Amino acid sequence: MKKRKLVALLAAAAMFVTMGTGCMTTKATDSAGSGDGDGKTEITFYTYNLSIASQKEAAQKLIDDFNAQSDTVHVTGVAADVMTMQTKIQSDYAAGQTFDVVQCALNQVGYYVDNYKLPAFEDVAGQAAFDEHMEGFAENAKTLGQYRDGKTYVLPYTFSTPMLYYNADLFRDAGLDPDAPIETWDDVKECGLALKAAGHEGVQITATGDGYDWLIQAMIYSNGGDVMNEDHTEVTFTDPNTVGAISMWQDLVKSGAHTNYTDTEAQEAFLAGNQGMLVTTAALESGLISAAESGGWELKAAPFPSFEGKESVPTNSGSGLCIMSSDPEKQAAAWEFIKYVTSAEGYTTITSMMGYLPLRPDIVNDERYLKSWAEEHPFVHTNLAQLERLHRWEGFPGMNGGQIGTLLNQTVTKCIFTDCDVASEMQTAQSQAQDLMP
Amino acid sequence: MAELTISKRQIHWQNGLKHLLLILLCVFAIFPIYWMVISSFKGQTEIFNNSLLPSSFSADNYAYALEQVDILGMTVNTFFMAISQAVLQLATAIMAAYALTRWKFPGSRVIYTLFALTWLVPIQATMIPNYTTLVNMGFRDSIVGVIIPNMASAFAILSLYPAFKSFPKALIEAGMMDKMSAPGVLFKLILPNIKSSVVSLGILLFINSWNEYFWPAMIVSDQGQATLQIGLRSFMSAELTSWGPLMAAAVLASLPILILYLLLQKQVIQSFVKWGIK
Amino acid sequence: MSEIALSALPDLSGVAVRQQSAAKRILKRLTPFLFVAPALILVLFWVYRPLVQTFGLSIQMWNMNPNVEPVNVGLQNFQYIFTHPDFFQAVWNTFLYILLMLPFSVILPMAIAIATNRLSSRAKNIYRAIFFLPMIMPPVACSAVWRWLMHPINGLFNHLLTSMGVVEEGVRFLSDENWVLLSIVLIAGWKMIGFSTLMFSAGLTGIDPSYYEAASVDGHKKWRQTLTITLPLLSPTIMLMLMMSVLMTAQWTFAYIDVLTQGGPAGASTNVYYLLWTYGFKNFNSGLSSAAAVVFFIGFGILALIFTRINRKVAFYDN
Repeated sequence: MKKRKLVALLAAAAMFVTMGTGCMTTKATDSAGSGDGDGKTEITFYTYNLSIASQKEAAQKLIDDFNAQSDTVHVTGVAADVMTMQTKIQSDYAAGQTFDVVQCALNQVGYYVDNYKLPAFEDVAGQAAFDEHMEGFAENAKTLGQYRDGKTYVLPYTFSTPMLYYNADLFRDAGLDPDAPIETWDDVKECGLALKAAGHEGVQITATGDGYDWLIQAMIYSNGGDVMNEDHTEVTFTDPNTVGAISMWQDLVKSGAHTNYTDTEAQEAFLAGNQGMLVTTAALESGLISAAESGGWELKAAPFPSFEGKESVPTNSGSGLCIMSSDPEKQAAAWEFIKYVTSAEGYTTITSMMGYLPLRPDIVNDERYLKSWAEEHPFVHTNLAQLERLHRWEGFPGMNGGQIGTLLNQTVTKCIFTDCDVASEMQTAQSQAQDLMP
Repeated sequence: MAELTISKRQIHWQNGLKHLLLILLCVFAIFPIYWMVISSFKGQTEIFNNSLLPSSFSADNYAYALEQVDILGMTVNTFFMAISQAVLQLATAIMAAYALTRWKFPGSRVIYTLFALTWLVPIQATMIPNYTTLVNMGFRDSIVGVIIPNMASAFAILSLYPAFKSFPKALIEAGMMDKMSAPGVLFKLILPNIKSSVVSLGILLFINSWNEYFWPAMIVSDQGQATLQIGLRSFMSAELTSWGPLMAAAVLASLPILILYLLLQKQVIQSFVKWGIK
Repeated sequence: MSEIALSALPDLSGVAVRQQSAAKRILKRLTPFLFVAPALILVLFWVYRPLVQTFGLSIQMWNMNPNVEPVNVGLQNFQYIFTHPDFFQAVWNTFLYILLMLPFSVILPMAIAIATNRLSSRAKNIYRAIFFLPMIMPPVACSAVWRWLMHPINGLFNHLLTSMGVVEEGVRFLSDENWVLLSIVLIAGWKMIGFSTLMFSAGLTGIDPSYYEAASVDGHKKWRQTLTITLPLLSPTIMLMLMMSVLMTAQWTFAYIDVLTQGGPAGASTNVYYLLWTYGFKNFNSGLSSAAAVVFFIGFGILALIFTRINRKVAFYDN
């Protein structure tokens, strides 16, 4: 009699949980056995494109198209939350429960190879089959997923380069010729000041947010600077060209040609037709195009600007695919899948629906694939031309690599948005970063 | 209530000012929500202008949002998560608060302090170890895994504590004279009388859980198990935010909870009225 | 108060003891523990066990990778934290956040609760329901709406400010280092008011109306009633909300910092938990993240202890 109610309550609570657990367990077995009993190899694909509403359809289409045409492999897509993705991969790895194919940022190749036992594509596919697949792949993109040993552990997948987008109507309003080429940062400054004088906003290089150090690196490389020495043992934040690049940037802001908004604010201003120029990833392009269409203004694009007398060096934002399964059968299945999504067909979907670069550049001239699309999207040629001058987006080595990246990002943000002395800020960052190098 | 010493005019003046201030605060509270709602009806051409009313109501954003994410399924998941969490947190908190206020037992102070100190441990520090534990327990990728570490809430315990503490001891003693058991006192005597506190706390716990993002995002990656907040987040990416659909999805995501609140609000008020047993 | 009830307990059990078997006596002893056990075990397992791990990790260098052996580095992580400006900036910002948050989490809600308490129940409910609305809105969507309203050129606020001639150029609410912290507080505070008002209202309903009747008969004026009756009787709620504000403001602002500013510009809006998050989830430096967690745990712990001390002296239970 005594504790019946309490016991009942506890029992109810316990039942509730067990019930839920039950559901979960059934679910797990379900998905494990959901190969329709036709003996296909089941693999999972962990990708953040599935968690972004505007890219989900395309990402799912890639998976569905693959599943439809494959008799031996069935892929299940798993949406990755960008914020916690890396942490989850690590914890899963510790628990021995990794996803089979994982999408990783291209600056993390070294990190992934050093820390996880990844198979090289040359080994999974066989050298000959791999070489055959890589025919027609952009030369400069091929090496981005290679490790020190020259083997490819990450296959470049979705990526783009930085471009300068501008609002032709605002240009005309400011008395500028929107058809005149904008080539150097001096040109950008001039246009920015003219726009400002006409009551509009100038340029913003959206490179201060999280994960945008690839664009900071592009600025630095374009001025002939570097972030690390050749053998990646020392950071080179105090390199005169590195400091020079940041100083030029600071000067853009000081002069008023460059706005000092957050990345998102600048994007929104541009989308709303108030910001004259935006230097940003080409992955934004489809969004910009539709905003321009509905806002009734003309969008134009130019290559990533250069420093006077130097050629601009764009970097790549974006991701590649790696195989994390250690089971040879699943590895082989993963290769089949990766082969499909990085094929001409795969890139047709990726480029036309998600806006990333076709890493098989020839398909923009091929009737079967992107020719008609490319005719409507002429900017893609500008973007592809930049692949010729591409510099790898470097990740800092060692346990504290991430820390160094954040430090660089914060220091540059501070330098460009305040009046501080760039050389001495970079000096401070240099010594802090060097302490964090392995 | 008799305000014997205050003149009528003074009351009017004071009341007027009071209402004015309250209304201003209401505008502050409501305006961003109003903005969210009207923006969800604005077409793409209008989305960035500052008009207080869309020139025409367009349902495009809703259509797109519903097409892109499975809002209904997510609502079901979120509901399951939030209700389980709220009920379990209430249950554990009621028992703990009862024990802590009714008896003085060795360690009771320490236990109270342990509950209070959980506020000092940020989720950012416990997320990773707890995730690893859950994966090892086999709860990877399930709503249940989201709920398990959240079955006890220090906030629930600490906010029930005063309600239990101020419950008249004489009544408990009387109950014990009637040979009521310990659970009997709790369920028959105390709970019916502090129902209003319990219900309002339940609502808060529910809302809290409903709006949780980081922990569910960490545990759940299977889209069939995703919650509304994860769905909302998918309209915001580092690269581009889809404003209109985000606003539409946000409206849809808050509707169930708004309705629930309005329904329960009545229940809370009724229990407020019944209060005053002493 | 509670002492009276407790002193009555042994007496009762003393009477009953002769009829009770030893087992029953033990059960009786155990009763409080049985009640407290579910919550206690959960908290120990899901909060304190990871906390202990965190203490362990704070003296190691590790990038959270299972294949990499953590390296023991002694107090080096703490040394790093205390010799780098980000830490002090985060602590100072957190202090400002807490201070600026108090009007939204304690002062305004208390005033609203008291002001609406004696309105007709209809008016009271409408007001409280409206204040409560922000609380139920999804934080992600709130961030988006506020960012929109606060946008330096497209935003409604700046639109109004410039057209009224208050400012010439749009205020950069979220990108100007002098404004950003205030803006985040405004957003987090907007969200908080409803919750706190509800807490205070719940506290008020617990007050026996007969106190007011007695006071009215005694001829007390309204504001004096508030001062002499309401506030003391509300003191447990006030203390609870004060303590919550101090301990939780860093958590309440976290989501908005994450979505709106990522701690920027140049760290101007970061707070202690965001710093912790940056170390752990962005830089994968579990040592620094854990060391920071330990420092904050101890720091906030001291604050909490002071609070409980004060609480015991100040809080007044109507009984």
